[in-house]
Amino acid sequence: MNVDLTGFVALLRREILRFVRRPRNTFVPPFITNVLYFSVFGVILGERIDQIAGVRYILFILPGLIVLGAVSNAFENASFSIFHGRWNRYIEEALTSPLSYTSMVGAYILASATRGLVVGVLIALIGAFFTAVGVAKPFYLVAFMLVITLLFASIGVVGGLWAEDWDDLTMMNQFILRPLVFFGGVFYSLNEIPELFRQASLLNPMIYMVNGVRFGFLGVTEVDPNLSLGILSGLTLAIVGIDIALFRRGYGLTD
Amino acid sequence: MASAIEIRNLTKSYGDVTALDGVDLDVPEGSFFGLLGPNGAGKTTFINILVGLVRKSGGTATVFGYDVEDDYREARDLIGLAPQEFNVDKFFPIQEILETKAGYHGIPRDVARERAEEVLKRVGIYDKRDTRFDWLSGGMKRRFMLARALITDPDLLILDEPTAGVDVQLRHELWETIIDLNDKGTTILLTTHYIEEAERLCDEVAILDSGRIIEVASPEELMDRGTDDIVVQLRDEPTAIPDFAADDDRVESVELDGTRLVVTAQQGGLVAPDVVQALDDAGHEIVDLEISRTSLEEVFVEMTRQGEGRATMEVDQ
Repeated sequence: MNVDLTGFVALLRREILRFVRRPRNTFVPPFITNVLYFSVFGVILGERIDQIAGVRYILFILPGLIVLGAVSNAFENASFSIFHGRWNRYIEEALTSPLSYTSMVGAYILASATRGLVVGVLIALIGAFFTAVGVAKPFYLVAFMLVITLLFASIGVVGGLWAEDWDDLTMMNQFILRPLVFFGGVFYSLNEIPELFRQASLLNPMIYMVNGVRFGFLGVTEVDPNLSLGILSGLTLAIVGIDIALFRRGYGLTD
Repeated sequence: MASAIEIRNLTKSYGDVTALDGVDLDVPEGSFFGLLGPNGAGKTTFINILVGLVRKSGGTATVFGYDVEDDYREARDLIGLAPQEFNVDKFFPIQEILETKAGYHGIPRDVARERAEEVLKRVGIYDKRDTRFDWLSGGMKRRFMLARALITDPDLLILDEPTAGVDVQLRHELWETIIDLNDKGTTILLTTHYIEEAERLCDEVAILDSGRIIEVASPEELMDRGTDDIVVQLRDEPTAIPDFAADDDRVESVELDGTRLVVTAQQGGLVAPDVVQALDDAGHEIVDLEISRTSLEEVFVEMTRQGEGRATMEVDQ
């Protein structure tokens, strides 16, 4: 294995082991939350709601819940890991090494996206416990899941570098990420809200992610999946580029 | 001799505060080099520029010929750093931290494991290998900081206050380890508050004060600039003594208190035989003689005193 790859793998391994060895902090919370979501929204409320977009309500919300869990975890992992490393200064172990800035950013993003994907699969399994789940468009499902977890991991890197305090991390998660997801068509169809709100919703990038993953599972969508995938991929590449530039500049990392 | 570190006109400012103000310095390859200075002199800033934790404002800095910014990967690969502040991963046991750090430097996992075991044994905390850093005692934490700096087998070992807060026995053990590394060719850059440490270990020291290098010399050369006291105990109280100051311009003062004579002179060790000879010639019987050598600390305090008032702000980090 060459020197660059060894360094990259060492950081990637460290980042993955960090969340794998702490399941109580990383996998148990989304497990409990999603069991509650499926029980309350899917089963108790869902049985009183008519079909949406031609499917049962529990199946309609499943892709949204997967997106919610996957992107939250991808974002939280990158932002927490980088900020915790800065706060306790052990990120200097990597910064003072010969790792290239691209390798550092790559390892943080890939590990965080992996956590997002694992949580996504976990939520799908919980959903499968409550109802039969099929995959109509596997390619789109995989492609959207990859892109959105990478995108939110790369946004998490910016968050981890930008945060000055633990409150900043909480704020980003509670006041920015969560409202975007909840107004991103997880629990309702765009066709069922007034036109003004529908148009406003189209500005929310989460709409495209939720609909993309829903297209993967159900084969139905309210927006063009190819266009969504293209825009999200472009956005991901741009933010990864910003991450690398920030590391190179030492933003939040060096004096 | 080639330079392990070559610094030219290095500057670093934090807003209006100048931490480094045009530093020029050469640290020869294979040397044991001390960087001394009061708090806020710029020592940690200087070190952090070399490893990429602080961005310089101007000038150049190279490590074994590699520019610390343009060739940062090569430069960082050659440096092992044991910083003053603990900055160790909280999540993993210490052996795993060492293996990961080695991995960052491109060392394959099987080799990294062997090396981690070896350095943990070398610093004497192998039996704590499965413990997390936070659970180690203060002394063990210092040992670990050295182990982590050594895991990549660096050509340049930078030790920022390596023995701060450790007991005398551990300090001596750490010294032995470092001396052994230097004997095997590792260049060492040491910052310390313990002047005794610099005096014992360093071939050469630079004195940094308010962001400027005010002196570079060997500890011996610096000590020669201070004065020693030659304390002579005479059997009988003399009525008159030879005029030492007139005969030797190295002598700065002579004090007689009953039978106790104190001659203060530069290079006291060289002046003492002349003093003894002159007293003997004058018929005075000497019952005891002691030379109280100046310490590097006294010279250091004297040299940095002029900078007092300027170094009021702690700008390290």
